[in-house]
Amino acid sequence: MLAFRDIRKAFGSTLAVDGLSLEVRKGEVFGLLGPNGAGKSTTIGIATGLLAPDAGSVDLLGLGSPTNARVRMHLGLAPQEITLYGELTARENLQFLADLYGLASAKARVDELLALVELDTRADERTAGFSGGMKRRLNLAAALVHDPQLVLLDEPTAGVDPQSRNRILELVRTLASRGKTIVYTTHYMEEAAKICDRIGIVDHGRMLDVGTVAELIARHGGNSTVTVERNGAEERVVTADPVAEVARQFASGGVTGVRIDRADLESVFLALTGRSLRE
Amino acid sequence: MKAILAIARKDLRLMFRDKGDVFFTFVFPMLMAVLFGFVFGGQGGGSKITLALVNESSSKIATSLADDLSNDASFEVTRHDTREGAMNAVRSGKAAAAVVLPASIEEGAGAMFGGGGMQIDCVIDPTRRAEAGLIQGKLNELAFRQFPRMMADPAQSKRMFDQMRSSIESSKDLSPGQKLAGAALAAAGESFSRSLSSDGAANGGAGAAGGGFSPVQVKVEELPRRKGGPRSSFDVSTPVGIVWGIAGCIGAFAASLVVERARGTLSRLRLAPISRMHLLAGKGLACFITTMLVQALLILLAVLGFRCSIAQPAMLLAGCTMAAFAFTGLAMLIAGLCKTEAEANGAGRGALLVLALIGGGTIPLFFMPPVLQTLSYASPFRWAVLAIEGPFWRDLAVSEQVAPLAILFAIGAGGFLVGARLGALREAR
Repeated sequence: MLAFRDIRKAFGSTLAVDGLSLEVRKGEVFGLLGPNGAGKSTTIGIATGLLAPDAGSVDLLGLGSPTNARVRMHLGLAPQEITLYGELTARENLQFLADLYGLASAKARVDELLALVELDTRADERTAGFSGGMKRRLNLAAALVHDPQLVLLDEPTAGVDPQSRNRILELVRTLASRGKTIVYTTHYMEEAAKICDRIGIVDHGRMLDVGTVAELIARHGGNSTVTVERNGAEERVVTADPVAEVARQFASGGVTGVRIDRADLESVFLALTGRSLRE
Repeated sequence: MKAILAIARKDLRLMFRDKGDVFFTFVFPMLMAVLFGFVFGGQGGGSKITLALVNESSSKIATSLADDLSNDASFEVTRHDTREGAMNAVRSGKAAAAVVLPASIEEGAGAMFGGGGMQIDCVIDPTRRAEAGLIQGKLNELAFRQFPRMMADPAQSKRMFDQMRSSIESSKDLSPGQKLAGAALAAAGESFSRSLSSDGAANGGAGAAGGGFSPVQVKVEELPRRKGGPRSSFDVSTPVGIVWGIAGCIGAFAASLVVERARGTLSRLRLAPISRMHLLAGKGLACFITTMLVQALLILLAVLGFRCSIAQPAMLLAGCTMAAFAFTGLAMLIAGLCKTEAEANGAGRGALLVLALIGGGTIPLFFMPPVLQTLSYASPFRWAVLAIEGPFWRDLAVSEQVAPLAILFAIGAGGFLVGARLGALREAR
């Protein structure tokens, strides 16, 4: 669906993307996980064709580079910034984009999208008065106006409250269930773990590894820690097979409590970069 | 084309929903036009009055009067060889009035005791009636100053007194006694004139007029129009209002383009299957439409509200169209030059304000002192004012309107191309 081959991009003396390669498969939700400044947004910019790489190549749907407007037609982008016109209503914002794409049944499509992002009751209000979460949802709807096959979501939950975040994640799942291919950038590992089929770990413009959450943990997460409580005292056991360890502890008797701390994406990132994702 | 129209429609909608932009584009210019209309109708400017002078006489008295006019602190005089040249200077706003010293000026002066008088023709710009009285008064004063010199010139005074004697003798209304007294008066005057000549002295002659004695006749007329119709100070103030309307409009559009780039909406638009030129054309179209709208509104206000008339409607349409084109290009250039929203709203609008001020936005070009008039050549607003004034009320010949139109076209095309290139470079960063 989308293939990057050894992409490099520098801004002055800053190397934003450093030999990045990846392949996004049709119908999957692919997560680009990395801290702020890792090069995720630059990668998205190159994927849209609006930003030209210094080296390497990008291919969309086997049609060629997205710098070609005809190829670019097949992707939609919800950028990190809210790219809406505050003085226009929700409907006018979407209608304008529908007109730009020359949609024949623009009104029906706009109504459909407003319902999808649950803004149909606020459709004729100016977006300047919307909450952060509402703007984020409309920003996402704007990426879908022309019904693209590939949707690029750049930090779509940045700066929203937990309730709005859950609604956006549900929306992403809905889109995935409708067969859309989604590239989702985030620095929230919980989000990535929750909705992504595969995840690419990015840091300093390099793709460190790609895989499912289980694969990444298996490769880089290390062992789990089993904490056993007996007569008010705690004992920690590091093991590759926590279930077998728990069974062994219960068999030896006197256990009043047990907790398993499995490796997660945080441990994966720590193992790959030597620092925490939250640093 | 649909995409271009969609972008233009969106930008117009955004423009009309911003109360600040609407005020500075439409309301403020109308207030300026009305305010300045009343101001210009009541009083003239504080700087020197510009005169276009034609001396058709080779006489000493005419040369002396021309020199006095040139040296007078109230006037800024430009000399012209023909009446038409001087008239054109008035018509184009370069001079407030044309002053003609006719070939017959000496003959008239010689006949001042015989019902004649020194005739001076003055044709004044109708929009500057307030200055007409001052010009007439000064011309009378300077003309009277020539009499002592004329009396001190033996040949000229002899000619004058000979003519006086001849006139007295041939008169049928005078009794022999009166004729005798008149001849004695002429002899005394001639004797006095000779004494002035021998002393080489000349005393001031102003204020010598009285009764039927009318030595100076200043004939003041208004510049004839090629077509009829009312004229008023609102003819002058309308372009002033247009300057402010255009400044407000292009300031808003330049800022909107920078805002789109800074906030990322431009990137989203560029994902659509349209070219960069489509995008800029759409935004330019909205700016062009608004600029045309503000010009139409102000001209309508002048025509319907203040009974101004349009001398050349087709050329006025051409002038307004070219002004809208030029300033749309300028909006693109400003947007290309400004990196941030703050720059567009601060430096961009500030630069426009300065250009509007020196281009005729507060003081009409012809009221400006010479230094400012020269500076105004650098302002696109100057050329817009000239392109609008020419067909609106000056009724200039088409050939005289070509230069402003061509300059406006060059500004528009240049601004669009350079602005588009700068914008592309900024987006690539």
